[in-house]
Amino acid sequence: MAASKIKRILRLLAISAKMDLAWLLRDTKFALMGVLGDILANLSVVSGVYLIALRFGGIGGMSVDEVLFMMAFSTLTTGVFILFGSGNNIHISRIIGRGQLEHLFMQPLPLKTQLLTCGFTPFTGGCNFVMGCILLAVSAARLELHVTIWWLLALLFYLAVTMTIIIARAYLVSSAAFYAPVAAEEIAHTAIDGTWQLSTFPLSGMPLFIQLPLLVIFPEGLLAWFPSLCLLGRPPLNLTELYPLAYALVISLLAGFIFRKGLYYYVKKGSNRYVPYGFRR
Amino acid sequence: MCPTAFAVSFEHVTKTFSQWQRDNTGRGILRNLVKPEKKTITALDDVSFTVGRGEFVAYAGPNGAGKSTTMKLLGGMLLPDAGDITVLSMSPQKQRTALMQRLGILFGNRTELWWDHPVIQSFEWKKAVWDIPDDVYRQNLGMVTELLELGGLLKTFARELSLGQRMRADLAMLLLHSPEVLLLDEPTLGLDVVAKRQMIGFLKKINREKGVTLIVTSHDMDDLEEMAERILMISTGEIAFDGSFEALRGITGNLTRVAVTSGAGGVPRIRGGQLVSSEKGRFEYDVDLTEMTVRELLRQLSEAGGVRDVEIKRAPIEQVIAGLYREWTAGGL
Repeated sequence: MAASKIKRILRLLAISAKMDLAWLLRDTKFALMGVLGDILANLSVVSGVYLIALRFGGIGGMSVDEVLFMMAFSTLTTGVFILFGSGNNIHISRIIGRGQLEHLFMQPLPLKTQLLTCGFTPFTGGCNFVMGCILLAVSAARLELHVTIWWLLALLFYLAVTMTIIIARAYLVSSAAFYAPVAAEEIAHTAIDGTWQLSTFPLSGMPLFIQLPLLVIFPEGLLAWFPSLCLLGRPPLNLTELYPLAYALVISLLAGFIFRKGLYYYVKKGSNRYVPYGFRR
Repeated sequence: MCPTAFAVSFEHVTKTFSQWQRDNTGRGILRNLVKPEKKTITALDDVSFTVGRGEFVAYAGPNGAGKSTTMKLLGGMLLPDAGDITVLSMSPQKQRTALMQRLGILFGNRTELWWDHPVIQSFEWKKAVWDIPDDVYRQNLGMVTELLELGGLLKTFARELSLGQRMRADLAMLLLHSPEVLLLDEPTLGLDVVAKRQMIGFLKKINREKGVTLIVTSHDMDDLEEMAERILMISTGEIAFDGSFEALRGITGNLTRVAVTSGAGGVPRIRGGQLVSSEKGRFEYDVDLTEMTVRELLRQLSEAGGVRDVEIKRAPIEQVIAGLYREWTAGGL
């Protein structure tokens, strides 16, 4: 049963990948422009912080190479985000607010499976992920990190936890679109992209009243800074290395509950709004 | 008819929506802050009907009557407030994923095609998502390509298709998984005469030859009459008529449209008839032939003088239904 489900998911990922490749080969010029745009946008975010670290010989107790490592982790996160979230499946408030959930209801698949597989773009969306891997390799070499299989598993673990936090927060705030489709259509974009720059800033050396809210109320400190320091073997603020996991569990449970309530509202009340743009790329 | 013979069963289904009421006056805005006003709209009120397997049913009604709500309830996109709905013996709300393997839904103003890909790419996407076996896919692709004349369109980007072509491609995609029931909401919306004829011909063919059950909504009653054998009419959330088009004409008194071409200057008079249009010596009347014989009609016209031509035909179904809508609105149904 589980094996057939995994096989089905792989087949769905494969068709998404095939369509992405077809688009790249067919509209190569525009596809490459999009890829370049994504790379430049991400580089401009991380290079700003890196240049500050370079100018001042580190930030708040973090060395230049440690800052580079953190930027590599952030680029990897962005890479995974674009790799799996290119179909508004993470910016879910757009699908809800535009009344496009009904397209998903017509498919003979659970919503979770559709949302997991529909935004997979390995060919046009994989560049930031590759760049992140390169940056990570460079920074790890400069830091002379002892990379073992356990360390790689820890990296995968923190990447998964970080993505869970990003997605859970997007789904949590996107639930507003069930009730106010026009006003909240772009709320996921605001929540994710609006605070992305803040998540790339090293919080080391900042006062506690800035660090704590960004670890407890808002998750920005957990998206690159905290996991990077954990991977470097010194979790900040004497917190456990499993703190991001606890945060991810709490926010995903909350998001699951609120989103399900919103979904129930949607199928109970229906959506009077339907706009086709942005659907079926 | 045994229960499993029903493709669709709607039993005492009620669906209400609430609408917030807004007032633009200062007093209204202040009152709304304290106590917002809500209005309840009953889209469907204890509606029951069944559709047998292989039937072709037209589902009609004025704007806001509850047609799209019914379609969405059948497709599992909405939850009813009360009542039971089954499609192919499954609950659309509880068994959505299984049902969607056997059901097809098309909304005329939406597309399931991938905008930035050729049509055939969308078809391949559908094959993967619906998990359609290779042989079934090949067979259905061949059938829809031939019947809907898609050969020249398969390699065209969806964004470059005309509306008629896009609707054909959407309909073709809808049929790739061999659905047993099709729910079509305004499938002829915006199509020109040729595209409409092609669409109607195709739907009749798959109903007749493949035994596909069809429920179609449209504002174009003439289209519906041409397609379907049975018409379900809904008005203000209730089934107002369920029967054949002939029976529908019957309840409105067998209205007939009489067109008279006259060379004389005046308007020919027909007692018991109602003049509905006049243009360049051609006059059209509505006459109820259950009240007046044809002989009497022709006698009156021969007495009128100057009549060059007389044409007697059934009143368009549009007109019959418009009259019914007016009656229902006046009667509060």
